[in-house]
Amino acid sequence: MNWVPRSLRWRLQLWYAAWLAVVLAAFSSTAYSLVRHNRWRHVDEEIERRFAALTAVLRPTVPGRPPFGPGRPDLLPPGPPKPSSPREPREPPSNPDRRLPPEVGAHPRGPHAEGSPNWLPTAALDALELNLFKTRRTESAFYYVLFGPGGNVLRSSPEAPAVSPPPTSDHFRDQVRQLDRRREHVRRLWAGFTLTVGKFADADLRELERLRWVLAAAASGVWLLGILGGAWLTGRMIRPVERIASTAQRIASGDLSARVPVTETESELGRLAATLNATFDRLCETLARQVRFTADASHELRTPVAVVLSQTESILARERSAAEYREALEACRRAARRLRHLVESLLVLARLDAGANSEERCRVRLERVVADAIELLRPLAQQHELQWELDLQPAECWANAEQLFHVAVNLLDNAIHYNRSGGTIAVRTGETDSQVVLEVADTGLGIAPDDLPHIFERFYRADKSRARMDGRAGLGLAIVDTIVRAHGGTIEVHSVPNEGSRFTVRLGRAIGWTSRADENPVNCEVVEPGCKPAAAVDNESSTSQPKGCDHENLDRRDSGVTRQQPGAMGSGEKAGL
Amino acid sequence: MRVLVVEDEPDLLASIARALRDEGYAVDIAADGEDGLFKAESWEYDAIVLDLMLPAVDGWEILRRLRRANKTVPVLILTARDAVADRVRGLDSGADDYVTKPFDLAELLARIRALVRRHVGHARSTIEIRDMVLDLRARTVTRGGRVIPLTPREYALVEYLALHRGKVVSRTELYDHLFGEDDDTLSNLLDVHVSNIRKKLGHDAIQTRRGHGYLME
Repeated sequence: MNWVPRSLRWRLQLWYAAWLAVVLAAFSSTAYSLVRHNRWRHVDEEIERRFAALTAVLRPTVPGRPPFGPGRPDLLPPGPPKPSSPREPREPPSNPDRRLPPEVGAHPRGPHAEGSPNWLPTAALDALELNLFKTRRTESAFYYVLFGPGGNVLRSSPEAPAVSPPPTSDHFRDQVRQLDRRREHVRRLWAGFTLTVGKFADADLRELERLRWVLAAAASGVWLLGILGGAWLTGRMIRPVERIASTAQRIASGDLSARVPVTETESELGRLAATLNATFDRLCETLARQVRFTADASHELRTPVAVVLSQTESILARERSAAEYREALEACRRAARRLRHLVESLLVLARLDAGANSEERCRVRLERVVADAIELLRPLAQQHELQWELDLQPAECWANAEQLFHVAVNLLDNAIHYNRSGGTIAVRTGETDSQVVLEVADTGLGIAPDDLPHIFERFYRADKSRARMDGRAGLGLAIVDTIVRAHGGTIEVHSVPNEGSRFTVRLGRAIGWTSRADENPVNCEVVEPGCKPAAAVDNESSTSQPKGCDHENLDRRDSGVTRQQPGAMGSGEKAGL
Repeated sequence: MRVLVVEDEPDLLASIARALRDEGYAVDIAADGEDGLFKAESWEYDAIVLDLMLPAVDGWEILRRLRRANKTVPVLILTARDAVADRVRGLDSGADDYVTKPFDLAELLARIRALVRRHVGHARSTIEIRDMVLDLRARTVTRGGRVIPLTPREYALVEYLALHRGKVVSRTELYDHLFGEDDDTLSNLLDVHVSNIRKKLGHDAIQTRRGHGYLME
């Protein structure tokens, strides 16, 4: 089937042409047969009229006529011939050559054929011939032939051709036949007499032939026009598909900015184009975000490595003083810590992205998790001379305790970092009918409106540079956002520049738990000392605060935090999991 | 030779500056783009090491403004952005070299040497003046096959004059290129260095054009 065009357009075209041809053929043949039927019916009526007139003249005179009255024309098989009858092979097969019997002779001239019996109403027939059978145009003339019982011609009209004798069978009643270019009605009258009335049908046949040609030509013309119109139409219809295909091809070959031109969005293809464009947009956006993330991550990872390399290489180039060595080693330690922090943050994100940990959820007392986080960060807040405003109402949610701790620590750390010295941090937890709420508000710099939509993006930093003094990589809020969304919650930020920001986290409330189980709400078995939340604290406070909030300190406090969670280790209770 | 390093990572900036100073360069540093742009526009440097992602004004902008001001100072971009598109963009924006972090310090130093050398029209890393040979890589001066011990500052002075051989170099230019912003320079420090060099290399090594400057032929 290789010859079948694969192009949708040509296949459509082909089907269309074929279907149009079928329809046109059906229409033309129907029209033709209707016209032909009408024509022959008309001819038959004419013949029948003459037949009736002849019978009326002959009836009283022909010998041996049956004893019914002359008013009975239905002694003959009644009615005009069926329309389909001309096609029927009613012609007696015994007359293929239509040769006349010898006694008929060729074209008997005049009203009185040879051996015409004297009982014939010659005068009446003459008059009739003059009226009904005389015509100037022989090609469409009517004629008749009267056969006697023996098949001999008793009388015929002057124009009559050599007519084959009727069948002699006793059962023969009547026949409508079309032979050569004539149409004839043959009917047994009575006592073996047979009358044949016919018409030369040249003109009718020519008319029908012309009609055939006209119809064929018209149908072909319409077919061609239809194909042209169809081609135009399919071309028009298929053009959007081609545009979509070429756009997709351009995108596939790397031009990610290509979009399907959309002129309207009402039609199916318009909607498809709009949908595709939206899909392309989203894909490009995702891709761009991925590229940006990779670039940012590699940048953030490369820089500390560069520090370690250049520090060690430059310090080892020659003999140095102890102070210089110490300085270089401290720089290396800072870089390594930043690397560790970054790697851990990236791992947290990667695990979140992979959808891990969702099975480790249990009922969590949010206010306790937040209290732990506050304990962890209290020394840091103290150094910034910040005041706490705490309103920790009981709030239970279904969550991963460790991840929730990340959220709290990152939000609090943010609030500390961006606060002004001597400001306050307001932390509130609580429950509504269906949600638990965590609110962290600071009195700090606030966030510029331009930056607000982006602060949850990975590696996004408001100042576009590495505010590296405290090792922030711009992942803290991204981690918060990812965790909250993974829990089906929402996070909102409200910020007024130079007045402060308020982050509001809403999570689904834990419901359907008896108060008996409430005794040890935070007790998933996930907590392992030392491999926990400090990972996600998005800063490296130790670099600027050697006292009190060293990273090791964070780790230690972490462990402390986990130990504070009742029943966390080894108790075997899993809050009904 | 005087080099400006613009880099917002303080530990990295410190180590690069230290390495360059060890090599005898006069080093200015800038921790953000604004400072970097100001210094690059204010002084004649022999080379600039430029980070791209900087606070305030980014590296692209600094490069663009420098080139628009027709400053031909060689610029080496030192960045963590390693995409080919970034390299191409960097070099096309007028940078002379592109090094990605993490880098090898030895390679960075060699590239800076090459940039400085090329900028004054020297392709080789040795300069021969009569029976005196300067090895720019080893930073030594030999005369008659014998290595002449020079202090880093003295060598830098000889190197600068040798690289601009045949041209009269003014005292201001020498100050600009031999002393960093942090160096305490006394007005007669240059004379002291020249006099010491003449003692070591011979009196004819450096000629004085009174009122114009110094010259090495």
